[in-house]
Amino acid sequence: MLEIRDLHVAVEGRPILKGLSLRILPGEVHAIMGPNGSGKSTLAHVLAGREGYEVTSGSVTFGDEDLLALEPEERARAGLFLAMQYPVEIPGVANMYFLRQALNAVRKARGQDEIPAAEFMRRIREQARLLGIGEELLKRDLNTGFSGGEKKRNEILQMAMLEPRLAILDETDSGLDIDALKTVADGVNRLRSPERAFLVITHYQRLLDYIVPDIVHVMADGRIQRSGGPELARELEERGYEAVLGGRLAA
Amino acid sequence: MSAGPAMVVSASRRRIDPDPSFTRAFAELAPRLPGSDRQEIAALRARSLARFTELGIPTQRDEAWKFTPVGRIVNRPHAADVPAEPPLERILPHLLGGPKARRLVFVNGRLVPQWSHVGGLPEGAAIESLTRALERRTEAVAARLARDDGRSFTALNAALAASGAWIELAPGVVLSDPVQLLFVTVPGASAPMSHPRVVLRLGSGAALTLLESHVGLEPGPALTNLVLEGELGEGASLAHDRLLLQADEAALIGKVELVLGARARYDQTTVALGGSLLRSESEVSIEGEGVECRLAGLAVPRAGEHVDTLVRVHHRAPASHSDQLFKSVVEERGHHAFAGKIFVHRGAQRTNAYQKNDNLLLAEDGEVDSKPELEIYADDVKCSHGATCGELDPSALFYLRARGIDATTARGLLIWAFASELLDRLGDRTARAAARRALAARLPTGALVDEHEDAA
Repeated sequence: MLEIRDLHVAVEGRPILKGLSLRILPGEVHAIMGPNGSGKSTLAHVLAGREGYEVTSGSVTFGDEDLLALEPEERARAGLFLAMQYPVEIPGVANMYFLRQALNAVRKARGQDEIPAAEFMRRIREQARLLGIGEELLKRDLNTGFSGGEKKRNEILQMAMLEPRLAILDETDSGLDIDALKTVADGVNRLRSPERAFLVITHYQRLLDYIVPDIVHVMADGRIQRSGGPELARELEERGYEAVLGGRLAA
Repeated sequence: MSAGPAMVVSASRRRIDPDPSFTRAFAELAPRLPGSDRQEIAALRARSLARFTELGIPTQRDEAWKFTPVGRIVNRPHAADVPAEPPLERILPHLLGGPKARRLVFVNGRLVPQWSHVGGLPEGAAIESLTRALERRTEAVAARLARDDGRSFTALNAALAASGAWIELAPGVVLSDPVQLLFVTVPGASAPMSHPRVVLRLGSGAALTLLESHVGLEPGPALTNLVLEGELGEGASLAHDRLLLQADEAALIGKVELVLGARARYDQTTVALGGSLLRSESEVSIEGEGVECRLAGLAVPRAGEHVDTLVRVHHRAPASHSDQLFKSVVEERGHHAFAGKIFVHRGAQRTNAYQKNDNLLLAEDGEVDSKPELEIYADDVKCSHGATCGELDPSALFYLRARGIDATTARGLLIWAFASELLDRLGDRTARAAARRALAARLPTGALVDEHEDAA
């Protein structure tokens, strides 16, 4: 589904990703862990198409498409979703209106008709209920005045509505208390299916107690340094990045 | 320039001698101007024209007119009595305030009686056209016209005012339905000009929603020179929605000057969405405690349009609150100039006064000039002012696009979001709807915006 080959990315001329390779198959949940500054969020942003990142070499294939040649909206319509670490507050754009626009754009790209208003309302209420998002929050402007936890839940709500093929969760656990973490993880787990893949980016192991990955990668210095099963995450938690990576951890 | 007379600039270069067409129009019109059968009014008008000629048209060397290319647009021949009979269906979309609204409709400065109705007023309420007011309360109107604020366009207005209204509510009179003043401009063989004068007098505890609309139906040179002035008594309340929707090539120069008594509430929202030159001046004097004064405005100039917003708020009494929020969205070759000043006079302790001017500059050849100012002569006050000018937030654009929304729609949404905050301040629902339509027509994603309204 996603094939990253020897990806090199620079920001303002400074290399951040230095030869990253990763292959994700449908139905798999991959976790990327790594210390601050290892390039985790850069990877998420590059995959979603954010400006300001220069791909100096390497390739990313999504399905059978050259992902890096697509605009951000084309990537979303092709089935890629990025749950952001810092969801942007957009006053003046109503949460539900925005989500209906987004869903219809994605459906159109899939050759589907616009979603009927009643069905949209039924689905969004159902998903909101599962994620513990109140009606009042749905009616507000996009992320505006939301708490950190509410923003993260709203990201998962969008993911549930847009039904992506590949969802990237960028530090979705940051700033969540344990109850919110469980709610968010349940939301992700409900969406797990043989056709859908996840890339979970996190600094801490605790999210992976709830979203149990198939494969864990440890990233440092712009590259994947080690890969393994879920036990690798626990090893990291116990021994720390330094000990696990040995001399490979850049200063 | 070649067709008209040469512009004469005085030695100080702070004023330009007015186009002779003003004097010609006055000579021609004077016998027919309302109140001209009364000697004192005729004399007052002649004095006002002389004062206008003496003051001249300000140039951009005059600080208050620094950004207004007024000579270029105003100093050309205009005629004060250009007949026009637009069909009702062109007017209907601009009738605001709901089925029970009272209104006066003027076309090119002339009252259209069949579209105007001000009947069924409660005891103590008067809404009269300027013509009628000059008959019924000659001295009171004369006193207003005679007031000299040193501004040439006010003097020109006093000389030529034929349209406008006298609106007076006795203490305690509350009009629950809005009053609309609709000024329609239709260019004809010559460029029309009109000089509306509106006087508002709200007694203590009186309340009014005033919808002031300026609408151009066809592109072409035209000039509207408005003066709106008055007082709000103690505890009086005025919601003042202003829609400036002039057509291409048309100019509007307007001044609003109000005095607010203790505990008065004044809410002004001005939406400038059309016209080559729109200059909107507001001067508010707070003369009692506990006043709530909110001034807001949106300008969306593009394609050579120029919008000038000048605001002066005087706090002359303690413990009042004023709040200004002015925004602009400047598209290609658009120009917005904002100059706002808060004066906190001696003794006006415990004043809260805020001012914010936020501008979205969307084109390299657009221009924004912002000059927020504070002048404070009291020590126990809370005041702040600020101005911003920028492009659309790239992280917000990315967020929307990362959810599948195309770049054009995402931009349209963000512009709408920025601007609609101001439209929401319009007090009247129908004025809000009209402003939304006018704004949508100016944005590339207009149709999408209507959906947004439905979803809201």
